[in-house]
Amino acid sequence: MAQLYGWTGKILRVDLSNGAVSTTDTAAYVSQFIGGLGMAARIAWDELKPGVDAFDADNMLFIMVGPLTGTMASGASRVLVAGIAPQQRPSVFSRSGMGGHWGAELKYAGYDGLIVQGQAEKPVYLWVHDGEAEICDAAELWGKGTYATTAELRARYGPKTRVISIGQAGERRSRIACIQTETGNAAGQGGFGGLMGAKNLKAVAVRGTRGVRIADPQRLLDLSLRASREGQRPRVPGGGPRWPARHAPEGSYRDRKCGFCNTPCTNRLFMGMPGEVTGGAHSAAWHCWGYFTSPRAHTEARAMTADYGLNGWEISYGMIPWLQMCRQHGLIDRIDGVEIPVPEAEIENLRDAANVSGEFLVTLLRLIARREGELGDALADGACYAAEKLFGGRGAPLLSRIYPRHFGQTNHWNGHWGTGGNVYFPFWLMPILQWCVDTRDPASDSTHQYTEHVLEYFPEHGPKRGPLTLEQARLVCARVYGVADACDPTIAYDQPETKALPAIFHHNRAMIVESLVLCDRENTRVFSMDTEDHVADTALMSKLFSASTGFETSEAELDIAGDRVFNLLRALDIRNHDRSRAVDWQVALSLTQPAFTDSIVLDLAQFAPMLERYYELRGWNPANGYPTRAKLDALGLGDVAGELERIGRLG
Amino acid sequence: MAATQQTVAEKSFVLPRAGVIQTDTKKCLTCRECEVACSLYHEDECNPELSRVRVDFDDFVPGWPDIRVCKQCDFPACYYACAARWDEPAMTIDAKTGARYVDRDKCHGCGTCARACPLPPERPVMSFKQVGRKRVYFKCDLCYDRAEGPVCVAACPGGALTYITAEERKK
Repeated sequence: MAQLYGWTGKILRVDLSNGAVSTTDTAAYVSQFIGGLGMAARIAWDELKPGVDAFDADNMLFIMVGPLTGTMASGASRVLVAGIAPQQRPSVFSRSGMGGHWGAELKYAGYDGLIVQGQAEKPVYLWVHDGEAEICDAAELWGKGTYATTAELRARYGPKTRVISIGQAGERRSRIACIQTETGNAAGQGGFGGLMGAKNLKAVAVRGTRGVRIADPQRLLDLSLRASREGQRPRVPGGGPRWPARHAPEGSYRDRKCGFCNTPCTNRLFMGMPGEVTGGAHSAAWHCWGYFTSPRAHTEARAMTADYGLNGWEISYGMIPWLQMCRQHGLIDRIDGVEIPVPEAEIENLRDAANVSGEFLVTLLRLIARREGELGDALADGACYAAEKLFGGRGAPLLSRIYPRHFGQTNHWNGHWGTGGNVYFPFWLMPILQWCVDTRDPASDSTHQYTEHVLEYFPEHGPKRGPLTLEQARLVCARVYGVADACDPTIAYDQPETKALPAIFHHNRAMIVESLVLCDRENTRVFSMDTEDHVADTALMSKLFSASTGFETSEAELDIAGDRVFNLLRALDIRNHDRSRAVDWQVALSLTQPAFTDSIVLDLAQFAPMLERYYELRGWNPANGYPTRAKLDALGLGDVAGELERIGRLG
Repeated sequence: MAATQQTVAEKSFVLPRAGVIQTDTKKCLTCRECEVACSLYHEDECNPELSRVRVDFDDFVPGWPDIRVCKQCDFPACYYACAARWDEPAMTIDAKTGARYVDRDKCHGCGTCARACPLPPERPVMSFKQVGRKRVYFKCDLCYDRAEGPVCVAACPGGALTYITAEERKK
């Protein structure tokens, strides 16, 4: 085999049912599927049979890196996690991801990814180091939190060892358990910690001292050093980059980054907080989501959430307000003796929910992580699954404001419920299109760049005013999306392309980000205040990919690869999980409440043709949402088209 | 090798002063971009193990990161040790930057330089690359052959690394 650059050339495969450790050659996949999510999608299509459920031994856990992982490309230490996701209701093949330093370490250990299959009889962990992998007995680790697990494995293998692990929640197959890194980063959404637990896999410790060979070192160096560091938001005229980071002068926290990252974000490490709830000192990561409580209780509760290995987002933005609504409807008063706080007015949006005490938080976290009692056992699977079991099902209707089609993940950056971000009509139509077709909350990798980057530059977005004129923004949108009116705040349903084309563009770019594997906080940028025409270097990912691997690939070619990965995942969703237009439409049907930002209601009669136009632009049949043969053939997925035709689901 | 370098006679004790990379741990974001930039520039691959600058941190332990990089001593023990041991020493002084560095083509792989370093051995600033059966030692050379200066300084997003030239250091 020819020498590969960028990739290591091997994917590590472990079957925990029989203890077999093997490798799969990466080279067979790279030209079509890049790495990371793309390779996971292809292998899942080939090997995951319809009917496999999340906790079945046959489910596969993909923990993947890509050709840029461990390189100088900014954001190149993320990890892509995929598999049939327990948190989703019903469980479908989906994805999550995490930052930190573990991803680069796996690459340095010689692997482009790790695929775990089967189910160990007894608790085990994996020790992966420089081309070797061992399945080790985890009896002494089982029952421990993620902090203690990580500390123990680093004591065994050295301080540079990187660890991902599950806590007590994952061990108990909680559907809202994360895979946690030692840096406090986590693969949060999807419940993949529960999947690890179902496989009896406690942790994966990695140490690698091999490098990543680069095809054109000088080019990668130049690209990395010259890449814009302006971040997502428009640079203030005359202002510098949003650096340096701010550390607390008294040393109570420090800002920090995942491996090899140049872009601003909010990752912050709290060091030694004096206790309010637990009386102890903690290191806790703070990034994005939060509990609505006192700052100190918040930091401590986050540390506990990470230690138990739980999805704090689901608990904070979904479960707690849902419990408060349940109390308002007389279904429950207390959890383990602690009163559930409620506001006086009925909760209609997240902002209406009451703050909670530290005592309430730690009680709730304990109940969930240990599945204590009927309540803790039900809540451990997230609010959507819990609503089936608790209160005779009477809590289920209350989910509707929070969870599109009750599928397990809260609204996010789509104008509804308010979990994150103010986005205004007509621009929230774009994320709703993405929600309709995705298998997860798409914000993490597909929506953020639109809602928090693109919209910041538009001249008018709700009450917000960006730095560009309409004419300047139109030129950028015409070039990048192919539709100039994408930035026009007066155009809504009447020109579906203005929302559908950006939805497709950012979804496909997310597939590239998740395959290379990079960070969605950085890619893809569309606008820039540093260029004459205000277009960002949208070809940056293809340049970085070409320099690292030596496979000279244009921006357009890489976009096709992203489209290919998206369509393959759609086909997998259709074949294995009965995805169809009818399922997509349930998302729209569940967004009938007014948007929390502007009180505008989604017009279903006008949205239906917009979704149909989206399908057409995707190359899918508008009647059923299935990809057409012409589309799949054009993407080199003729065999996928054949299989869909065989089961009667070709568009 | 480039004409910018010059081996100072082994008997000479007083050497031209070197520039140095100054570190500010409170600006370090622990991204390790410096590590992969260094290895990419010097070794054509991204590999922290081959970096001349290293960042140690433990996110479980409150505290600032530890950035390890050569101090470019006025009286470099590594240089003297190499010169004392070999007729053709590998340790070299760059005329322009004053960088004390290992000429990889001349390195004997003996490790005398690394053992002579007065910095605490648990915080090494010198290491070696295994090339076949031979060890080739490396340390920070201030990227003396890079016109724009040290690559780690350019790569650092937090401003934790600053290049102080020999001239500036004299002041």
